[in-house]
Amino acid sequence: MSLHDHSVELRPKLVGKRVKRTEDPRLLAGVGQYVDDMAPAGMMHVALLRSDQPHARILNIDVGEAFSVPGVIAIYDATDLENEVRPAIPTSRMPDYYATPIWPLARHKVRYVGEPVVAVVAESRYAAEDALEHITIDYEPLPFAIRQVDAVKDDAPLLHEEAGTNTIIRREFKRGDVDAAFESAAVTVKGRFRMTRKTAVAMENRSYLAEWDARKQALTLYTSSNIPGVIRDVLSGCLDLPGTRLRVVAPDVGGSFGGKGSLYGEEILVCALARKLKRPVKFVSDRLEDLSATSQAFDELIEAELAVTEDGMLIGLRADVIGDVGAYSIYPWTAALETVQVVSFLPGPYRMEHYRGRIRGVLTPKPPTGPYRGVGRPSSTFAMERLIEMAARKLGMDPVAFRRKNLVNADEFPYRTASGIIWDKSAFQECLAGACAHVNYPNLLLERDEARRDGRWVGIGLASYAELTGIGSRISVAPGMPINTGTETAKIEIDATGAITAAFGIASHGQGLETTLAQVIVDELGCKLEDIEVKHGDSALVPMSSGTYASRSAVLGGGAATLAARVVKGKVLRAAAYLMEQSIDDLDMHDGIVTSRNSNCTMTLKEIASAVYSQMGRIPRDQREDLAASETYDPYLGTACSSTHLAMVEVDPETYGVKVLRYVVAEDCGKIINPMIVDGQVQGAVAQGIGAALLEEIVHDDQGQTVAASLADYLVPVATNVPDIGIVHIEADLPNNVGGFRGMGEGGTIGAPATIANAVSDALSHLSVSVETLPVTPERIFRMLQARRDPAAAVTD
Amino acid sequence: MKPAPFEYLAATSAAEAAEALAAANGDGKIIAGGQSLMPMINFRLVKPTILIDINRIAGLDRIEKHGERLRIGATVRHRMTATDALVHRHIPILHDAMHHVAHLTVRNRGTFCGSVCHADPAAEMPMMTLLLDGTIAALSIRGERQIAASEFFVGSLMTSLEPDEFVTWIDIDTLPPETGWGFEEFSRRHGDFALACVATTMRIVDGVACDVRFGMMGVGETPLRLPDIETLVEGQAISERLLQDVSEALKGLLQPNTDIHASADYRRHLAGVLARRALRDAWKRATFRKDGPDA
Ligand SMILES: Cc1cc2nc3c(=O)[nH]c(=O)nc-3n(C[C@H](O)[C@H](O)[C@H](O)COP(=O)(O)OP(=O)(O)OC[C@H]3O[C@@H](n4cnc5c(N)ncnc54)[C@H](O)[C@@H]3O)c2cc1C
Repeated sequence: MSLHDHSVELRPKLVGKRVKRTEDPRLLAGVGQYVDDMAPAGMMHVALLRSDQPHARILNIDVGEAFSVPGVIAIYDATDLENEVRPAIPTSRMPDYYATPIWPLARHKVRYVGEPVVAVVAESRYAAEDALEHITIDYEPLPFAIRQVDAVKDDAPLLHEEAGTNTIIRREFKRGDVDAAFESAAVTVKGRFRMTRKTAVAMENRSYLAEWDARKQALTLYTSSNIPGVIRDVLSGCLDLPGTRLRVVAPDVGGSFGGKGSLYGEEILVCALARKLKRPVKFVSDRLEDLSATSQAFDELIEAELAVTEDGMLIGLRADVIGDVGAYSIYPWTAALETVQVVSFLPGPYRMEHYRGRIRGVLTPKPPTGPYRGVGRPSSTFAMERLIEMAARKLGMDPVAFRRKNLVNADEFPYRTASGIIWDKSAFQECLAGACAHVNYPNLLLERDEARRDGRWVGIGLASYAELTGIGSRISVAPGMPINTGTETAKIEIDATGAITAAFGIASHGQGLETTLAQVIVDELGCKLEDIEVKHGDSALVPMSSGTYASRSAVLGGGAATLAARVVKGKVLRAAAYLMEQSIDDLDMHDGIVTSRNSNCTMTLKEIASAVYSQMGRIPRDQREDLAASETYDPYLGTACSSTHLAMVEVDPETYGVKVLRYVVAEDCGKIINPMIVDGQVQGAVAQGIGAALLEEIVHDDQGQTVAASLADYLVPVATNVPDIGIVHIEADLPNNVGGFRGMGEGGTIGAPATIANAVSDALSHLSVSVETLPVTPERIFRMLQARRDPAAAVTD
Repeated sequence: MKPAPFEYLAATSAAEAAEALAAANGDGKIIAGGQSLMPMINFRLVKPTILIDINRIAGLDRIEKHGERLRIGATVRHRMTATDALVHRHIPILHDAMHHVAHLTVRNRGTFCGSVCHADPAAEMPMMTLLLDGTIAALSIRGERQIAASEFFVGSLMTSLEPDEFVTWIDIDTLPPETGWGFEEFSRRHGDFALACVATTMRIVDGVACDVRFGMMGVGETPLRLPDIETLVEGQAISERLLQDVSEALKGLLQPNTDIHASADYRRHLAGVLARRALRDAWKRATFRKDGPDA
């Protein structure tokens, strides 16, 4: 190899560097632009009268004196919009599934407290809310079953009569002979695990603004969505507008965590109203609306049982899950997204021959469940990892040794799980070892035991899991779903000034993708970071876009960026070869400067761009090509991102308050593009998972009312609840995709609930109680201990 | 979440505020720090016709010592109470309590008197006012009325203020330097309203507790002073046996609520735990301080 080749190899790369996020200056200086910052001339505001009934027939709507409020322009209910829009139908090829239609306003019936019924359009949100007070809705209350265990019964009142049942999803995964495995097992453990309902609580509430362009007869929707492309495609049908006259833009978006990753009736509504009234229409949900009508999460009841041999090998797992999907199946994911993933991921990263996992998804009069960081896997990991620790305890084995014995080994990849998921090579064992090494596990055990001798209730818990990320067209994000989530397009253009625009179908909403995708392009193309403008979050950028979710953007966006940058680089070098009179093989570009290994002459990208586009005659007509490329990447399958979490907690023996003393995450996300961003994602996701484990719970009372209707009652973690988090990055074998990346934005939320549940259970192990419901609040610990002392007084959750 | 329409008056004198409040005929609301009122009007839980802002009234933003009492003006912020030297020196338990009130941003605006008027049964200042035998000065166009703290809190978010009255200051006891104190609060997250809280003070004379005060919050419709507990502890040395008796006695005395954060049973349990801890602390501090405050 020549010296020159070495110098090229040694050139600094940006991938792998802690590059500061390029989006931060605008966001931190308050000059970002969110939907609520936009105020086109003539804009009107919408306020919604929402159902205060869980299940009722709408008999009559009386607007009273509402029009007497100054500034009120129009008041609509579902009947007024019947001819303006078609409903969105979250279809699926799944058998035994019923797709509940999504309308902007409730038709005939309401099905959860918080469902929009009447829309008031006014010059200000104040006037619109004043008008709401004059409107009365006459309801005929209908019977309902608010708990999933009741709603699933054959004689339960039906929420959607057309479905003929409340159970709109059924799915079973099966491998081997699980019942025989249980018969032969030396040890079995079982539990009834409940991950209560959560909501995502993004800092920015959902916000929508629709503008009608009378000249072009075209509509633009600005939405706080993380799937603007998907929204464009579905609205095209709802509103009967072609993509040329319908654009959906997600400007700066203040977090989603999944809550902004589905179609909402309010999005259809503002579009229909803007077109009908020919003025811009804005709807910004307030925190109460966010807590009561943004898609919610989890709410599964998981009865699961694990069979183990005498020497600690997992042989069988069976589970029966009832998922409470809420009142509607959401678009595009359907109610199967969360529920089916619980049973498909339940076997986890372990070797396991015999499995049967069943799920029933039932309708209840609550807000629909939908994507939430981690989807399904926070619940499945919670149940499985509790079983793992329960089994280890029963066998008298150390939970780490037990996991080590059962995690899939490097030489077993690709491993097909009992539910059919294929794990490509990922650092399952190395993550377990890495987390233990980081805390000096044997020492930590001694520390725990010493604390216990002082009467302190200290416990250690772990969770190992794997998730499938960056999935391509072979696998659907949700089973049978009609949209394509498996490809991503990058369109890279160098303009006549030498500036580079890279446009994507993704929609970054806090992940820092403007920075990480630019890093990938810099390395591939050889340009400067500051010359790249990454565009995203706009349906007009690429022909088909879907957005940012399911830990896909780095893998798919990064892959597409790499492919497109390669093509563009070829064009740049071909032009340079002609202009510099060099052989293309001798040229390379770095930092926006093309150099030749055979001469001292150089050219900047700017000079080349100018020569190509503006200086006619410098390149012959038949050799001139635009410095642009559009490439679509499809990784076909997905790649496993794996991790082990370990926590030490202390429970106050009197108040039962839980404090997290230590926390460490060891994870394998493939090649790391930006360690600072990865750290941030891990820390934020673990914080979210700690919230799910200790604090957060959406509660509906027996009357179907939401009880946690403000952030004083829905408790998200604050700084004092989140410890320093140790992070160990393990870059083992890279996955077989273009960039070698794995998706990692969700993992923290998947591992933390299980880890905390295990640690709290360990701290309470001398009292023989086991954490089976999250969040594990002081109240729940109090009741568990009370029930142990006095079984007659036990209250089930 | 937008308020119903209201008028707004930035009063520049107490008399102007009193007149406006009287003129509003029961539909006016005083606004001090706005930290409790704004959420309520945004939720339209209250719909005042007029907000009377007392922040520009001169002279209400002070903490002064009048004899053995501290006088806290109506626009004294939590932040000021938390950092005030007089409070720190003469009522260290109040200084401690302030750490549990909300977060810095809320403490920068919220007021001591506003908190007392708001009368949240799980808020610290109403309990401290009760514990420190506070006197609340209520002004109206009919003149000034002084209300004992024991007469002030009548229910959850309910006080004995008349609709045309507002508070200009609150007086509370300073404590003799040898007083020991215990303040124990449990909430789900730091800065949240308490699930239960105990505040207690005592001196040690001849080896036993005297001048015992014992207050609680978060366990009833109002903040509580518990004379039964005070009597139980008065004249006794703190012992595990006595603490056990206090826990037992509390179970019979309290009627806590059940809400989504805690059941009545758990709150009753917590009350016992916190009472034991607070009394132990108070005893320890009193032991330490009886040789002089600077010992
Ligand atoms: C996030 C958050 C957390 C909080 N946590 C806590 C906590 O842990 N502990 C705690 O104690 N408090 C807490 N608070 C409440 C805070 O302390 C409030 O500031 C306090 O309760 C009210 O004081 P204010 O000056 O803001 O009163 P305002 O909100 O202005 O008024 C509250 C009520 O009192 C009336 N009022 C105010 N001043 C007077 C007056 N001089 N005369 C007559 N009526 C008057 C008003 O009309 C209104 O009805 C919290 C608040 C928030 C927003």
